[in-house]
Amino acid sequence: MAGMKTASGDYIDSSWELRVFVGEEDPEAESVTLRVTGESHIGGVLLKIVEQINRKQDWSDHAIWWEQKRQWLLQTHWTLDKYGILADARLFFGPQHRPVILRLPNRRALRLRASFSQPLFQAVAAICRLLSIRHPEELSLLRAPEKKEKKKKEKEPEEELYDLSKVVLAGGVAPALFRGMPAHFSDSAQTEACYHMLSRPQPPPDPLLLQRLPRPSSLSDKTQLHSRWLDSSRCLMQQGIKAGDALWLRFKYYSFFDLDPKTDPVRLTQLYEQARWDLLLEEIDCTEEEMMVFAALQYHINKLSQSGEVGEPAGTDPGLDDLDVALSNLEVKLEGSAPTDVLDSLTTIPELKDHLRIFRPRKLTLKGYRQHWVVFKETTLSYYKSQDEAPGDPIQQLNLKGCEVVPDVNVSGQKFCIKLLVPSPEGMSEIYLRCQDEQQYAHWMAGCRLASKGRTMADSSYSSEVQAILAFLSLQRTGSGGQGNHPHGPDASAEGLNPYGLVAPRFQRKFKAKQLTPRILEAHQNVAQLSLAEAQLRFIQAWQSLPDFGISYVMVRFKGSRKDEILGIANNRLIRIDLAVGDVVKTWRFSNMRQWNVNWDIRQVAIEFDEHINVAFSCVSASCRIVHEYIGGYIFLSTRERARGEELDEDLFLQLTGGHEAF
Amino acid sequence: MGESSEDIDQMFSTLLGEMDLLTQSLGVDTLPPPDPNPPRAEFNYSVGFKDLNESLNALEDQDLDALMADLVADISEAEQRTIQAQKESSQNQHHSASLQASNFSGAASLGYGTNVAATGISQYEDDLPPPPADPVLDLPLPPPPPEPLSQEEEEAQAKADKIKLALEKLKEAKVKKLVVKVHMNDNSTKSLMVDERQLARDVLDNLFEKTHCDCNVDWCLYEIYPELQIERFFEDHENVVEVLSDWTRDTENKILFLEKEEKYAVFKNPQNFYLDNRGKKESKETNEKMNAKNKESLLEESFCGTSIIVPELEGALYLKEDGKKSWKRRYFLLRASGIYYVPKGKTKTSRDLACFIQFENVNIYYGTQHKMKYKAPTDYCFVLKHPQIQKESQYIKYLCCDDARTLNQWVMGIRIAKYGKTLYDNYQRAVAKAGLASRWTNLGTVNAAAPAQPSTGPKTGTTQPNGQIPQATHSVSAVLQEAQRHAETSKDKKPALGNHHPAVPRAPHAPKSSLPPPPPVRRSSDTSGSPAMPPKAKGIGGGGLPAPPDDFLPPPPPPPPLDDPELPPPPPDFMEPPPDFVPPPPPSYAGTAGSELPPPPPPPPPAPAPVPDSARPPPAVAKRPPVPPKRQENPGHPGGAGGGEQDFMSDLMKALQKKRGNVS
Repeated sequence: MAGMKTASGDYIDSSWELRVFVGEEDPEAESVTLRVTGESHIGGVLLKIVEQINRKQDWSDHAIWWEQKRQWLLQTHWTLDKYGILADARLFFGPQHRPVILRLPNRRALRLRASFSQPLFQAVAAICRLLSIRHPEELSLLRAPEKKEKKKKEKEPEEELYDLSKVVLAGGVAPALFRGMPAHFSDSAQTEACYHMLSRPQPPPDPLLLQRLPRPSSLSDKTQLHSRWLDSSRCLMQQGIKAGDALWLRFKYYSFFDLDPKTDPVRLTQLYEQARWDLLLEEIDCTEEEMMVFAALQYHINKLSQSGEVGEPAGTDPGLDDLDVALSNLEVKLEGSAPTDVLDSLTTIPELKDHLRIFRPRKLTLKGYRQHWVVFKETTLSYYKSQDEAPGDPIQQLNLKGCEVVPDVNVSGQKFCIKLLVPSPEGMSEIYLRCQDEQQYAHWMAGCRLASKGRTMADSSYSSEVQAILAFLSLQRTGSGGQGNHPHGPDASAEGLNPYGLVAPRFQRKFKAKQLTPRILEAHQNVAQLSLAEAQLRFIQAWQSLPDFGISYVMVRFKGSRKDEILGIANNRLIRIDLAVGDVVKTWRFSNMRQWNVNWDIRQVAIEFDEHINVAFSCVSASCRIVHEYIGGYIFLSTRERARGEELDEDLFLQLTGGHEAF
Repeated sequence: MGESSEDIDQMFSTLLGEMDLLTQSLGVDTLPPPDPNPPRAEFNYSVGFKDLNESLNALEDQDLDALMADLVADISEAEQRTIQAQKESSQNQHHSASLQASNFSGAASLGYGTNVAATGISQYEDDLPPPPADPVLDLPLPPPPPEPLSQEEEEAQAKADKIKLALEKLKEAKVKKLVVKVHMNDNSTKSLMVDERQLARDVLDNLFEKTHCDCNVDWCLYEIYPELQIERFFEDHENVVEVLSDWTRDTENKILFLEKEEKYAVFKNPQNFYLDNRGKKESKETNEKMNAKNKESLLEESFCGTSIIVPELEGALYLKEDGKKSWKRRYFLLRASGIYYVPKGKTKTSRDLACFIQFENVNIYYGTQHKMKYKAPTDYCFVLKHPQIQKESQYIKYLCCDDARTLNQWVMGIRIAKYGKTLYDNYQRAVAKAGLASRWTNLGTVNAAAPAQPSTGPKTGTTQPNGQIPQATHSVSAVLQEAQRHAETSKDKKPALGNHHPAVPRAPHAPKSSLPPPPPVRRSSDTSGSPAMPPKAKGIGGGGLPAPPDDFLPPPPPPPPLDDPELPPPPPDFMEPPPDFVPPPPPSYAGTAGSELPPPPPPPPPAPAPVPDSARPPPAVAKRPPVPPKRQENPGHPGGAGGGEQDFMSDLMKALQKKRGNVS
């Protein structure tokens, strides 16, 4: 139709020439020129382009990108007029899905094809479906920070890049499970490896690397990250992302819905990784005690994931089935009340008897360690002057139930002490047991630990506890070689794990490795029985329990104020924080919020709360779009209900978070 | 009359249920128990009394009866044990038997605690199933398998054995019981038995029934340490016996039953804990206005997420210095992981905080009058200590707040950090209970009119105004009484027949329902299944026509002679077990008879019988007398309706007996 001309070659209809480049925004790309009219439909134009290129290829993913308007021409039934396209439009005919390098929460890089034409919200949902992460609304993409040139050269090449760009997912349906993983991962060894990378926790990072990575030193540093969030309502192309660019995938909203270890292995792992990195890079602060628990959990998780005991509860022999587990549970419950003669073979409660040196710190005494004959049976520790007197009354008998067990160990100094704080009506009595070697120490220590929880050495976890202690001692042996501030290189074998990889760098400076190890060991005893998923969940919970958890910081300037302040955005509240001191000035809860408005021209957010409290601020560190999206996003997330399952009300989300770009 | 006879009917059926229970537990005893020595000495230990005697005296008669029932069961068990032990020394395959017995007594004691017949029974139901099943498991394939079997593919077998062992173990875990004196609001005290499996919630429920208070969520068990001048509430999920076992024998510590609105304050006004902006007045005002919906969402947010949220709490508190009566002001912060303080010259950022204490091994207590005792700056003190510490010690931490509000915030905050979501679960259970209770009391008022009429006694047991216990106990004691009477009259053998009536109804339906819960089964059949019952009961209430039972009486005749010489309770058991335990007993008889086991059920009873027979009744009778007086002592209940009720019970039993005797 378009392009009718007279014999002389003059066009007699209102047609004109439209030049379309083929490819991805490359000025030197080949181009085709079509003859079109204003009434031409986009669909027809597409058809013509393909005809002109005359190449056999699957063009189904291709669409036209209008460069000046930064817009995809996706409505195939619209005419050029309707879009307002004239001959001067620079149009590119290119694929809608393009490869990007995705930096996952576990810091691994993954190449995959992301949609450049859909709003980011949908693109992220598609990515999450591919990675089998439920509740994609909690995640989003950030621009990768600009790299400093020097370091890039050293580090980049050695990194492994996982590739999922070839994997195509049938739309809509949740992928079926095949061989314990979503079916699309089981195609090849590479994709399988990729799934393992996604669903299993990564080994601890090299402490040296950890020290080199940038860490926020102040609140304003913490605001930097949040300026990089991409806009959920626009597509990647519109936001200047190019094929092959690096993007970060992160949990953006700290409101994790329906976290289920069974159905969410990847989600749980990635969340754990994000939490872990948050802690290691000091994005979120915690106390020393808390750090030790986090370190112990990391150690435990790493051990489990390396030994491949995924999903197996720790400490149980893989051969044991649920029956034995149930039995051992029963045993735990019944400890201490069973007469042994009845069920001897199965329930004889093992006891420990040995010569140990004992020290009881008292005021005004100079006595040191003294050799005693010590008998440890059930949960009771008795000691005698000598073995001959054992049948008689002991010098002292201590029931260790409820006691505190503190390791006091120096491997290089061959000091293996157990400090016991045993409660009694009069207070706590302190007693030190000194063992000769690691083996003895491990057995007695394990016994004491179980006894403190009211269990005996008949407990099924006893032997694994002994092994765990021995493993930890060997860890300490290798760890202590470095001495001080020169931690080992990336030595991530299960044996010689470097404790520095488990804690934030400031603890590296504060403690020597050999000081750190026993403290991690101490914390480890409380988590040693958790399964991988449980341990990850516990880690996430402990992270969530931190007072500063889930606060995204933005630098703002409140209306009427002369200085910059920090606005903290959490899942239930906004917090006004003093920039210099870090004190909370004021908290507003979303539940009291009436409405919020954004004045895009002056970049100001105005919020009205109940009782006519009005707050207005302009955004300094990030665009007000990001603040707006955070608030709207949290409101959206709070509307989720269990009953609705995973179906997403995308319109509502975009309504709450978008609205700033009036097209 | 119609109604009252129905009540009699029901009462009668509960009685029967109780009887079954008793007899069953005894019946199991008849299997040879293995070790003669295990004394059940650990059985009782009282809290809040100088000695056991005192505690026994202070027990309400119902409890006493219950205790008696236990003891009786124990004695007979012990007797039989010794006898068995003489007869055959090495027979270890029947351990389960004695274990069962102890389990049963445990179950019974639990039952005493719960007053409503229905719940009592349902508990039996819970407790019962394993035992019946066990003999089945046990006898057909006893220990022999494990030893001589071909080792290879017998792992499955081994597993089965393991299960058995586990079950046995479960049973032999003897149930420890404490007699606890609980101080009430009005300075009176109540004694109750607490078994080691009971949580504070159970004990509270028990007390609700005894006191007929309004059951609101503020009621709590409260422990007081007069020596340390500290106190705290039991959390509903705490095991009471476990806590009490930390007390020393000569302790002055007390348990109170009272209302404390602090207990669940956070759930009623979460805003006071979660939204309190560091004590600013302005926030306080707005907080008062928080509406129910907002409160709910605040709670949801704080307690229903992946992890609970501990209220943000920080501020200057006074800390008592170890061993001194001086107090130092420090800035403390509460975190989920513990209490921290800001070291001198540091800021309150996380990295600078020093850990003051973590909560794993300590409980939180309110300190009372520490201003006097320790020269505390204020009287708003709280104390953290290991539950086992009972005396002054440097390991006890004393902290002092500026005002009551702060104190409550800290105590609640620490509880939330320590117990987490459990606290919320407890609250919801308490609310449910309170709701239920209010409905019950409504029902109760309807019934309350009745107590004057003796016939409704059992039914209204739950709502008796005088706080008397339970018909569960009543009936148990009544059964005992009845049994004793049988024993006494056994010379003329006639009552034996009467004694067997209870067994009658069971026979018809036992097959259909098989092993597990005898009492309930019989209940349902009583009300619905067997129409024979009502007439019978009516007959009793009115003038007596015991004829229907006789129709059902085929089984009884043979056993009576055997039983009668035996102890009172056993007789019914011998009657009943067969139909009841359908599978187990027969095999056991057969098996035991076939093997080296002569003593099985029938033979042993006669032997021990004479001794206990004479021995048993007296104690029971002896205990009886105190009953009426005690009841009068009970505070504020002039009528002694409960007493009347109980008297009625025994009267009824007498009447029953007579009638049966006459008929037969």
